[in-house]
Amino acid sequence: MNLVQKAVANGGRLAPIVIPNGLTSGTGLMNPSIFIDDDGDILVNLRHVNYTLYHAENKQRFSSRFGPLSYLHPEKDQRLVTENYLCRLDSKLTITDFTRVQMQSLHQPIWEFVGLEDARIVQWESKYFLIGVRRDTTTNGVGRMEYTEIAIDKDKWEVREVFRKRISAPAPDDSYCEKNWMPVADKPYTFVKWTLPTELVYSHPSSQETEQVFVRHSITPPTDQRGGSQVIKWGSMYICITHEVDLFKNYLDQKDAIYRHRLVMWDEQFNFAGMSKPFSFLDAQVEFAVGAAKYGEDLLISFGFQDNAAFVVQVPKLVVEDLIIEGLQYEH
Amino acid sequence: MNIEKLVIRLSNDPFNSELNFDLAEEYLALNQTASAVSFYLRCAEYSGEASAKAYISLIRMAQCFEDQQGREYSVSNCLFQALAYDDTRPEAYFKLSQYYEKAGSWQEAYTFAVLGQGWANEPIDDLSEKVGYYGSYCLLFQRYIAAWWIGRKDESIDGLRVLAKINTHQIYKDAVAYNLEKLDALL
Repeated sequence: MNLVQKAVANGGRLAPIVIPNGLTSGTGLMNPSIFIDDDGDILVNLRHVNYTLYHAENKQRFSSRFGPLSYLHPEKDQRLVTENYLCRLDSKLTITDFTRVQMQSLHQPIWEFVGLEDARIVQWESKYFLIGVRRDTTTNGVGRMEYTEIAIDKDKWEVREVFRKRISAPAPDDSYCEKNWMPVADKPYTFVKWTLPTELVYSHPSSQETEQVFVRHSITPPTDQRGGSQVIKWGSMYICITHEVDLFKNYLDQKDAIYRHRLVMWDEQFNFAGMSKPFSFLDAQVEFAVGAAKYGEDLLISFGFQDNAAFVVQVPKLVVEDLIIEGLQYEH
Repeated sequence: MNIEKLVIRLSNDPFNSELNFDLAEEYLALNQTASAVSFYLRCAEYSGEASAKAYISLIRMAQCFEDQQGREYSVSNCLFQALAYDDTRPEAYFKLSQYYEKAGSWQEAYTFAVLGQGWANEPIDDLSEKVGYYGSYCLLFQRYIAAWWIGRKDESIDGLRVLAKINTHQIYKDAVAYNLEKLDALL
């Protein structure tokens, strides 16, 4: 049973996140990140891309010319371009406001992946941040997480970037690509950089360096657990949604992938407490969750479907606690 | 039915080809073509061997990529997949003829129109109309337009004059009249 089915069957809700195609030319709306701010507003950062992900499932009788999994960008423009839209939802999870995040023009992109990708939204010390990966600052696509501080005019519903900072990896900072760090919602400037072993890092926007707070070994998961939503407090635990991916190639050496998610939990000191079995949201092979927020007693999770559609699912407390119980019983 | 209800329905039966088609149609109605492609493709992949909706889904995907612009390889690939899936229906021939017409590849446009005529049986169904195919005269129109550009002047003009006398969709009435007017002015 997929998570949407389970959530709705237990009184939850499913909300599609759609903005008018006049803004987007109909290409992908994906990987939304949900957050509830200090005013109680339900915010979603929605990623818009200039491509359509083509993923043939099942027996793959209808692959694209480029294989079963391909990014169908304009054929004369190799770039995969991301823009971000900030949306506000009402209590029924319907979009009431949306606007493109006006980014500063700080450099000319020099790689094919353009823009701030898979940005998670948080509010730390009253400032809003979109925190995602940017890979367009070098000619070979080196990726680093970046802070984009945004100013939100809630009356006009205008959003603009007011500050940007590339986040270094902990020393020696020589990795090729850092992405999917999970911000800890109630610990400013703190991230779960790696799930298992659990690596916590701290990077203040005014600092050039990123401090490794600790690396804590516990279990070895069957597959790498990658970020993921924000890390949020749930009772006396921290929880998040991670993803795991099986990347493989078919007999024609064409790439393919299957993504699944888990709920991972730690105690308040970030000692690993458990993780659920893998699940999917709607039984597609490519799905991706970058947002989670506690909403009353329930959990809101935002996820992308094949990079082409975006949803928020309200997961009732009962279902979340089933996942937690399952996770606490995780055997390793 | 709105998207929310359709997705919830789909969540209970995610590999149901018809439910995926219904959701794709809803997204396409909003011009959310990337989302529509996801669900049309799932409709096709999870269909059986002879599904009219899978066939139309592949043509709809071509339409989505055409709307997005700059993805001509993907447009033609979807149409050829539809043709290979069921070569006994006229719609894919018709759309391929239109595709080559837009590219100015007149012999190809002519050829696919002629090939399609072999399968242009009436009556047509609702699915045909979804992709702009209203009847066999659509293929004839394609044929006569392309004929002009490959040196078959008489076939083109005579054919269009015949089309002008039959009952067609208003789009075709207008298109036939427009083309005859242009051709008459040239001759």
